[in-house]
Amino acid sequence: MSFARSSIAAAAFIALAACAPPGQSAAPEAGATGPLKIANINAQSGQLSSLGQWEHKGVKLAIDEANKAGGVNGRQIQLDLFDDQGDPTIGTNLARKIASEGYIAMLGTAESAVTLAMAPILKDAKIPNITSGQSPKLAELKSPFLFLNAPTSVTFDETLAKYLVDDKGHKKIALISNNGAYGAGEHDAFLAALKSRNVTPVADEIVTPDQKDFNANLAKIREEEPEVLFIGAEEVQSGLIAKQARELGIEATFAGGAPMGTDVYATTAGTETAEDSVVSSPYLSNEASDEIKAFAAKYKAAYGEDARMHVAKAYDGASILIEALKQTGGEGGQKLADAIRGVKRAGLLGDYTFDANGVGIHETKIGLVKDGKVEPEAAS
Amino acid sequence: MQVFLQTLIGGVTFGAVYALVAMGFSIVYRTMGLVNFAHGSVVMIGAYAASTFYLATQLPFAVAIIVAITVTGLIGLIIERFLRPLENKDFTLMLIGTIGFGAVLEAGAVLIWGATGHAVPSPVATGPIDLAGIRIPTYNLVVIAVAAAATGLLALFLQRTKRGAAMQAVAMDHQAATAVGIHVGRSNAMAFAIGAGLAALAGSLIGPMLYVNPTMGGTLGIKGFAAAMLGGFGSMPGAIVGGLAFGLLDAFAAGNFQEYSELVTFLVFAVIVMIRPTGIFGEATVNRA
Repeated sequence: MSFARSSIAAAAFIALAACAPPGQSAAPEAGATGPLKIANINAQSGQLSSLGQWEHKGVKLAIDEANKAGGVNGRQIQLDLFDDQGDPTIGTNLARKIASEGYIAMLGTAESAVTLAMAPILKDAKIPNITSGQSPKLAELKSPFLFLNAPTSVTFDETLAKYLVDDKGHKKIALISNNGAYGAGEHDAFLAALKSRNVTPVADEIVTPDQKDFNANLAKIREEEPEVLFIGAEEVQSGLIAKQARELGIEATFAGGAPMGTDVYATTAGTETAEDSVVSSPYLSNEASDEIKAFAAKYKAAYGEDARMHVAKAYDGASILIEALKQTGGEGGQKLADAIRGVKRAGLLGDYTFDANGVGIHETKIGLVKDGKVEPEAAS
Repeated sequence: MQVFLQTLIGGVTFGAVYALVAMGFSIVYRTMGLVNFAHGSVVMIGAYAASTFYLATQLPFAVAIIVAITVTGLIGLIIERFLRPLENKDFTLMLIGTIGFGAVLEAGAVLIWGATGHAVPSPVATGPIDLAGIRIPTYNLVVIAVAAAATGLLALFLQRTKRGAAMQAVAMDHQAATAVGIHVGRSNAMAFAIGAGLAALAGSLIGPMLYVNPTMGGTLGIKGFAAAMLGGFGSMPGAIVGGLAFGLLDAFAAGNFQEYSELVTFLVFAVIVMIRPTGIFGEATVNRA
């Protein structure tokens, strides 16, 4: 009964949202009083909800701090959370909703696919969006209203290839990646980085994001006896691939992007299996610097759980937005987008300088997994 | 050859788990004519119950599995009790009821255990067995053995005990069964409890091979359901053959069709079901509506 009622309500909402012309909403006038409305759109339910919940906690921490310190020119920031369920269709509906309800900026989402779907609507409505997505496709949009709080896969994998091929001299490299938005981006970026170094992978296996049994793919890889196995998949799947690879007797070093620096990867693969995995990430651990240590302590005090990269980059993104809002005096639109592009900030993920494509961070670091935790690789 | 045999190992292990899930679907269907759409979520609850108990108490994994079977068996009884007033009255509502229970279980798991999930260390410490280059993880052998033993016990129960025979009778003709004094409601409850127990067994076994989280039931449920259809919905031997066939189909598609593997698996499945709508061991369809 309530299901039927809510679906009617949802249908009515979609119909209404579709009617509202984008960009013609009543944006708050400059110099207005009252709270500044900022939307946080992230998955709070469904398969990707853990990412979305971390992101929201990071954003909320930054906004709460700013509000406690007096807000933006005396105005408080009103942070509203919307659940996109990790679904691009729901994302576009929410984009229209926030455009018609006078939100001046949006933080999120953690999903490249959802952000890609929302970007054109937010661009028309002149609502700046700082996303946590890292697909190179986001930068290719060249939207003046879209900003990335982390590097794209291109940067992650260029750093990784440089370390593996140039520094360590590995030539026999095998790839296994999934064909989802993240895995495909990783696959293409790493392959391009290898190609520029004249290295051809000895195996290139593609799996589906839902796949659990990799015996067939890994048995083929094993025949090539690779020195390095590059894994382009999310946290859990990366862990499962590593675990099954070791069970099959593959001795190669595992290498990959940020997902392999998480405890989810290490516990899924098993601490012993994950040992010495090579990780390319702008945020290696909660102990990497004094600023990060202080942030991790603050986060733990607020939420009772350990900080991680997703939290840190969401916090960085929100901090940049607050800084830009202070410059515009709470004004949104083109002025806010320009202000964000101008922000130079020494953040938790590195030094932010936004380029023409809206990418804020341009380098990652190499770390090695030791006893389930990432330690920075000593410069060789 | 090595690749072929290694693929076979993976396929059979996952196939054994799909077979357990499929048997759970089938035992409810053959007794009540109802597809229990909450079944995948019950698998997930079973995985959580077993892994949480195992991690918290450090008791042998077998004990954790029994705890999980008990917990989910009770959940099965509760679901059946809720649906009983609808039996023989509104079949569609019963179906929707099971979908609702699935959502409730998933939301409940998020509330109790959080959205993130946890990894379960393998209960078997010994390394993989190496047979001329084919590596067989010892835990996979445990999974296959336990699944086979459970299948044997269930067959004994259905064929050799009075209660089992009564359930068979209800499955064949529930009106005639009522006429000879068999309590249909009790039979249904038993089917739901056994189905949930099988789900818990599948969930507990797969936990250490995967990652336990609130949405893990989705894929397992769909694949188990497809396996049951492939074998012949409602048939117990069908569920076993269907489960193994689906596991192997999945494994070989992954090796040969890469990113198209899922597409190929379900295309082959669709073609088989089109040619033989009743599945491999097809029985006359039960319909109580």
